Amino acid sequence: MDDLFAPVSGQWQRVAPQLATVRRLLIAACAGIVLVVGIVLAILLPDVAWIGVTLAALAILGTGWGWAWAGRNQRSWGYAENDDDLLVTRGVMFRRLVAIPYGRMQFVDVQAGPLERAFGIATVTLHTASTETAADIPGLRADEATRLRNRLTELGEAHGAGV
Amino acid sequence: MAPGSDRPGEALGLRTHPLTAVVQGALWAAAASVGLIGSLLSGDGWGDLSPWLSLVAALVGGSLLGMGAGYVGWLFTRYVIDGTELRISSGVVTKSSRRIPYERIQSVDIAEPFVARLLGLAELRIEMAGGKDSRTSLRFLSLEDTRELRRVLLSRAHGESPVEEAVEHRSVITVVGPDRVIIGTLLSLDFVLATAATVGLVVAALWFQQVVVVLGGIVGVATWVVQIIGKRIIQQWNFTLSRGDRGLRIERGLLSRTSQTIPYARVQGIAVKEPFVWRRFGWQRLEVDVAGYAAQGSDEGPASSSTLLPITDRALADAIIRELIPGARLDDLTRTAAPGRSWPFAPIGWRYRWIAADDIAFVAREGWLERSTSIVPHRKTQSVGVRQGPWQRRRGVATVEVHTPQGPVDADGRHLDERDARDALVAQLARARAARV
Repeated sequence: MDDLFAPVSGQWQRVAPQLATVRRLLIAACAGIVLVVGIVLAILLPDVAWIGVTLAALAILGTGWGWAWAGRNQRSWGYAENDDDLLVTRGVMFRRLVAIPYGRMQFVDVQAGPLERAFGIATVTLHTASTETAADIPGLRADEATRLRNRLTELGEAHGAGV
Repeated sequence: MAPGSDRPGEALGLRTHPLTAVVQGALWAAAASVGLIGSLLSGDGWGDLSPWLSLVAALVGGSLLGMGAGYVGWLFTRYVIDGTELRISSGVVTKSSRRIPYERIQSVDIAEPFVARLLGLAELRIEMAGGKDSRTSLRFLSLEDTRELRRVLLSRAHGESPVEEAVEHRSVITVVGPDRVIIGTLLSLDFVLATAATVGLVVAALWFQQVVVVLGGIVGVATWVVQIIGKRIIQQWNFTLSRGDRGLRIERGLLSRTSQTIPYARVQGIAVKEPFVWRRFGWQRLEVDVAGYAAQGSDEGPASSSTLLPITDRALADAIIRELIPGARLDDLTRTAAPGRSWPFAPIGWRYRWIAADDIAFVAREGWLERSTSIVPHRKTQSVGVRQGPWQRRRGVATVEVHTPQGPVDADGRHLDERDARDALVAQLARARAARV
């Protein structure tokens, strides 16, 4: 069923492709370390070279898989601001859609690590009284993140319904 | 209020009860000796001391140290109640002062740990909305002072000035006698399992004459049995549920007593649990979601609990549900059941799964060994979600979730037909919106 994860009304807004770039860089960095360790092991311990070779092969395979995953995952994220609720969707294999009424938001966080800042993106996280809500939107452009936070805070106050 | 005791009213800088130091000493002595019990059993002492002598040393040393620390701590602890907030200042080296604005108070509970109870003292626990550090304790005060302080704080939290009334209007709804709690525990699933495991292991140990090998396992499951008994029976001794102006009150405990108030407006959802054997007798257990309760660790003494009634019959349970969520009903709702093709996810359980909703509340049922029904009023719906994994997609099913604050209530409709799940999501958003206005 295709419309199980369609927005209740309106269109999904997609997140910035820089999210995939940042994740690919992180994956490449981790895989690079494993690759170097594998090569060094293979050179230093020629008797058990297969360990080093396996590590290096895993690193290369992992990078390839991670590369594809980052792209697909980035394209799967979406959010929609409806009249009364914010909708967030994500995931390719394990798909999820969550709808948060504006009046239920307790507070809104904006986070950006050094790498994310370098690429001009940020993560907006919404908190309700429930931990199950777990609504974070990564990979928003910095100006969009600020706009969304201000808009959500404003709407939260307007719709405020307490705990 | 006891004549002659300080009035914890609008005065300045009140002290807690001087016997606090004694309680502190006893608690430290207990903590110091707990570690020694093990070595006592194995016959080792503390250094060159004999086991019994070291136990005495731990008791005396612990209580002296504890009393000293308790006395100094008491000397520097003061609390102030004024028109807008409660302030507690404490600390000898590092001074700390905590301000509790009345409007942020979620609930006020009274706990009487065993030692404190012997001396007629009690601890006041104030819960505020928000993170992990949201509980403030004031220990220890005389029981009358604690009750009076709770009354003042609760009326202030509701934006009223405390009226000079000595008696609260309370009516007891029910008292769950120890016999019912014991019978209920004996028939509950985990107790039966734990006991069966213990007996099985003992028999196995005797049969194979390998007592030492199985000893670890036996000790493990036996501890489990003791824990269940301790948790259910001792903590829920003389469980009293009463009704007041501001909410339901629960009083319970054999050794340590706890008195907690659940304000009507703070109830986020109710879970009805019916273990397998209990269903034959029509018994139920009621648990409640209150924002802030579940975030606390249960390690510090008798914690605030989410159990509303440990064991009850159907009629009373229904009456209490209707009182907390007016208009809620469980029968003659249009149920949306899980489809037969969802059987790989729960070969037996899928038959017992359904969700339903009326204008008041969302209801989700699941479980066949322990049947669990979650009721969430629409006006407390936090957020709504739907999720689907690859296997669920292949089977054409999806999970719809109604999110509530952390607690026993879990209102999820798992592995429903994906069209039903989507409809439930959209409808639930509309109902929650209508209920908030």
